[in-house]
This record gives sequence, structure tokens and C-alpha cells, in this order.
Amino acid sequence: MDMIASWIGNIPDFAVPFALAALGLIVIERSGVLALGAEGLMLVGALAGIGASLMTGGATVWALILAMCAAGVVSLLFALMVLVMRINQVIAGLALVFFCQGLTGLLGTLLDWTNKPVAGLHAVSLWPFSELPVVGKLFVQNPLVFVTPLIFVVVVLVLNRSVLGLRLRAVGENPQAADAAGIPVLGYRCAAIVAGSMLIGLAGAYISVLSTKMWIADMVGGRGWITVALVIFARWSPWKALAGAVLFGCIEALIPQMAASGIRLPQYFVFMTPYAVTLGVMIWVALASRDSSSQPGALGEPFIREERR
Amino acid sequence: MFDTTNFQPLLARRYTLEVRQQMAWYWQALVIALALVIGMLISAAILVSAGVPAGELLNEFVILTLFDSQSLRAVLFQAAPLIMVGLAGCLAFRARFWNLGLEGQMIWGAIGATAVSLFEIGPPSLRLPLMMVCAMVCGLLWALAPVLLKLHLKVNEIISTLMLNYIAINFLLHLVYGSWKDPRDSFPYSPQYKVFERLPELFDGVSLAVVLALVVALFVLWFTGISRAGLYLRFVDSSPGVARAVGVPVKRVILGTVLLSGALAGLAGLMITAGQEGRLTHSFYAGYGFSGILIAFLARNQPIAATVVAVLVATLFVAGRSLQVFYQIPFSMVQLIQAILVICVASSEFFIRHRIRRIQGGQV
Repeated sequence: MDMIASWIGNIPDFAVPFALAALGLIVIERSGVLALGAEGLMLVGALAGIGASLMTGGATVWALILAMCAAGVVSLLFALMVLVMRINQVIAGLALVFFCQGLTGLLGTLLDWTNKPVAGLHAVSLWPFSELPVVGKLFVQNPLVFVTPLIFVVVVLVLNRSVLGLRLRAVGENPQAADAAGIPVLGYRCAAIVAGSMLIGLAGAYISVLSTKMWIADMVGGRGWITVALVIFARWSPWKALAGAVLFGCIEALIPQMAASGIRLPQYFVFMTPYAVTLGVMIWVALASRDSSSQPGALGEPFIREERR
Repeated sequence: MFDTTNFQPLLARRYTLEVRQQMAWYWQALVIALALVIGMLISAAILVSAGVPAGELLNEFVILTLFDSQSLRAVLFQAAPLIMVGLAGCLAFRARFWNLGLEGQMIWGAIGATAVSLFEIGPPSLRLPLMMVCAMVCGLLWALAPVLLKLHLKVNEIISTLMLNYIAINFLLHLVYGSWKDPRDSFPYSPQYKVFERLPELFDGVSLAVVLALVVALFVLWFTGISRAGLYLRFVDSSPGVARAVGVPVKRVILGTVLLSGALAGLAGLMITAGQEGRLTHSFYAGYGFSGILIAFLARNQPIAATVVAVLVATLFVAGRSLQVFYQIPFSMVQLIQAILVICVASSEFFIRHRIRRIQGGQV
């Protein structure tokens, strides 16, 4: 029973990075830009968060904000590549990931930020829910866990219920029509890239500053790629992505539990599970439905005004 | 209505962007060369700010590596697996398949080769060829699932090959930290290969790996340029729909090409374990997957160009290792420089495809 209680208590810690990154990806991809760079932006957020915590001496909230800004700044490079230079979005996304991997690996070592513990945030308990049996630990979490659903509500409202969101989705569905209606396509796409990347950076900072509480090179370990798959699985819907993030959180939270419980399983096979599950989910989605109606119509296509179709 | 031209910003009034019809090849080459130079200058600036004395850069990268016969040999030695992954990338990209699973396929190639060595399969004289075959088959099999999933279920191969990489890495760790660990010490390495299981030096210190890589490069040149499969492949690459309509077996061509790509990546894994390390180690694959993609991209999927680019990347690898030793600069620098070069060259396409024209007199 204790085991189940502590497993449930660990789920948000693993689910929140997936959820925030998926939300950021949805914002970018709804504007019609294929964002494969999530892995790299999470790394940037993770390193910047740790760096800011170490430099400011534990001002964690500021560290998270700085991490978001860092990811936003780096994403301008991606925006430059796909919007101005019109580079193939797959190549630009991959180049961004490799760039960020190299950059964070280099800076983490040169600035000597590796393996330095940071304080993180104190856990807050949400009374009276925290007194519940079994699921009580679910309500003793760091504040960002409780803020995450609020971020979701705000982003979903903006995306689905505001003029801004309507225009953003129009740009992603049919940029030519949006352009004809006088919507600045590249401006909206650039704003979506920066805003989404800030959320992805926050997800990365969550992993390093609040969860692991230190920086290790390449610590995101494929979670960015899993999120890319998660967004496809969620058909670009924020609430489905949240559900998927909780599912992956449950699976990842099982890994330390299994090690602690003394069940003798080869540990490296246990480490494989999130990746194997991702692969399984991709196959399942492909088998279940072949319609791509919920995919943004212009996903992955550059907008070039001179080449009207 | 009022005259809107007066309200346009200055830049929009004076310059326009046009799609260029064509650009002579020498201008294209010049633009790309310029992009490479800019990329190198940015990289040099980063290296200097990371603490390498500016005067040492030229020394480290050009003179020491290319004009010293020992390090030239080291560069060629390093180039062999890079040529292989570069060719593997070229093949997969020609089939319009984003094979990001080069690392996973390399790992399985190395595991296959090590299994032959560990369980002493076959007589000593046949051991090395057997290891090569096994490495190729293992690499090929690891590429089989993503290509079948892509062809039959349209599963995105970028994600599936990357996920398979992580699975392969964890399996490798399971082996080298577990049952395959060398019992003599506590490092995560397999026992050393025997002498006849290693790629021998042929002449003047040049490893068999280098010759093998060049032979494979010629084979890929034949495959893509002369063979019937290569003709089909060009068809599929330029227009899959038309290719299907005129009766090209599109699926079989893609399947075969991607499997060949996996086999070459597997062979690259063997070149590192049997050529360089002499055993299976826990991180031998690091950086090669990305480099393979980079080499194929910079070489525009041309096998000969890929061979040349691979040698240049090998120079970067060798110089990066010596920077690591002498200036404590982490090896991630090599990856960062490669990424910067890719971004610069990819951006140069913009200037090849577009022209910025100045408009005289403000008439739009």
C-alpha cells in the first residue's frame, strides 16, 4: 500500500515536464510549424534554470523565468531558420536539437554547473486533500505542479476562445487564406514559436531545477522526442496531451519504484520502457485511425508569399 | 483611399525578395563555401572564447592534423567509420527516409560482431569475415522495423528510429555492465578481441577499415549511379507518385535501400569496435549518428562528396580530442561546431534559391 501511495505521489513530478512541453509543442504546431526541436529547447531550459539558480543563490522562481526566456531566445534561431531562411523544417528542427545538445554540454562543463545541487522549491500541501489515504501524496507537491493545470486552462482559452487563437489556428490551417485576410502569417508563427518554446523551456527547467535538482549533460534523455510523439498521439489537443502526459508520468514514476521494491528486474530493460511504450503508442495510433483531420493543415509547410498556390 | 506606398516601411519599398530560377553551379559552390567560412569563423570565435589561444587554432586544426603523417593516419583511421555512417545516411535520405537510427544500428552491428568474438563462432581464419557479416545483418535487422512501420502504417520514422536508438543504448549498457563485462576489471567493457578478430593494418599503418570504407563508397556510387536499383531510387526520390505510376516497385526500392543503410551503419559499428577500441565499450557510438546525418546533408547525398566530407569531419574529431586533452574543452564542442556548420550551409540555400533586388526610385 505504501508503495502505491508513493508511486502515485511521484506521478506529477514525471508528468508535468511532458505536459508543459506538449502544450508548448501544440502552440507551435497549431501555427503550422513542425517543431522537432523540443529535446534541444528542454536542454536549454534545464541548463539555464540550474545556472540561474546557482548564480542567484536559490531564487528558484526567477530561475524558472530565466529558463523560459533562455529557451525563447534560442528558439529565435529556429524561427530565423524556418521563417526567414525557409529551411526544411525537419532539418531545422534536427539542427536545433544538435546545436542545443552541443551548446549545453559545452556550457555545463565550461561554467562548471554539472552535478551542483540546487535547492528547488518547497513542497506545498493542498489541505484537506493531502490528508486523504493513498492519493494524499498527490496533493503534496511543489507549487508548479498546481500551476500547470492553470497554465493549461489559460492556453486552451487563448487558443480556442480568443481572436488571437483563432488567427493562430488559421495561420496553421491555411496560411494563404490567412494572409489574404490580412493576418501577418510570419509574425504569428514567430510569436507561436517563441511562446511555445518558453513553455518547453519551463518543462526542461522543471526536470533539472525541481525534479533532479542538478544538471547532468544530456539529462532530458529523449523526453523531448517522446513529447513529439505524444502530441501526434493527442491529435494536437491540449487536454488529450495532458492525459497522455499523465500516462507517461505513471510509467516513468514506476521505474524508481521498481528499483526500490526489490523486484529483481534487469534495470536497463526497465529504463527502456518509456521508449518502447512510445513506439507502441505510435503503432497503436497508426492502426486505430488513419484520418489526419485534426492535424494542422499546413503543418511542416513553409509559407512563401511569392509562391501562391 | 489613400496612397499606401507612402506608408510602407523603408526596407519593403527599396528591396524585394524574388525566387531565383537557376544559379550557375560555380555561384552555388561559392555561396556554400562562403557559408562554410562563416560557420568556421563563428566556431573559431567560440573556441577562442572557450579558452583556446587564437594562435593555436590554425596550428591545432590544420598544421598538426594534415601535415603530420602520424595524425594524418589518425584522421584517415577516424574517417573510416564516419565514411560508413555518412554513406548510410546518403542511402536512407535518397529513399526519403529520415534514418536517425544510425546509432542504434551501429550499436547492434557492434553487438553482433562482439557476440561472434565472445562465443568463438567459426574458425579463426574465418572469424573476421563472419563478424562483418554478423554486424551487417544485425544493423540491417534493427532498421527493418521502422521501415516496415513507415511503409505499411505510415509511422513517423524520425520518432521510431530515435526510440529504437534509446532501446539499443540501454541494451548495450545491459550487456557491458552485465554478462559481457570483462571479468578482469570493473570497467563497462567487453573482453578484448583476439588479434585475428581485429581489423589489421595493411601498409604503412593504414588500417583495413580505411580500404573497406573506400570500397563501400565505390559500391554505393555504383548502387546509386549505375545499378537498376539506383535508377529506381532516383525516380522515387524525385517523385514517388510518378514512380509508382510507371511501375517502379516503390516499396521494395525503399525497403532495400533503407536496409542497406542499416547494414552499412552496422559495419561502421564493427569498424569502431574491431578497428579502434578492440572491444565493445559503453559509449563507442557517441556522436556518430549525428555526424552521419550531417555528412549526408553537407554532401547532398552524393557518395564521393560524403567521403570527402567524412574526412573533414574526422579532422574535427581528431582535433577535438586533442583540444580535450590540452585545453580541457569538452567533446560537445565537436557537436556544436558541426551543428553551426549545418545551420550555415542550410541557410546558404536561401541565397541560392532567392535573390534580393533593390528597386530604383521607390516604384513598387
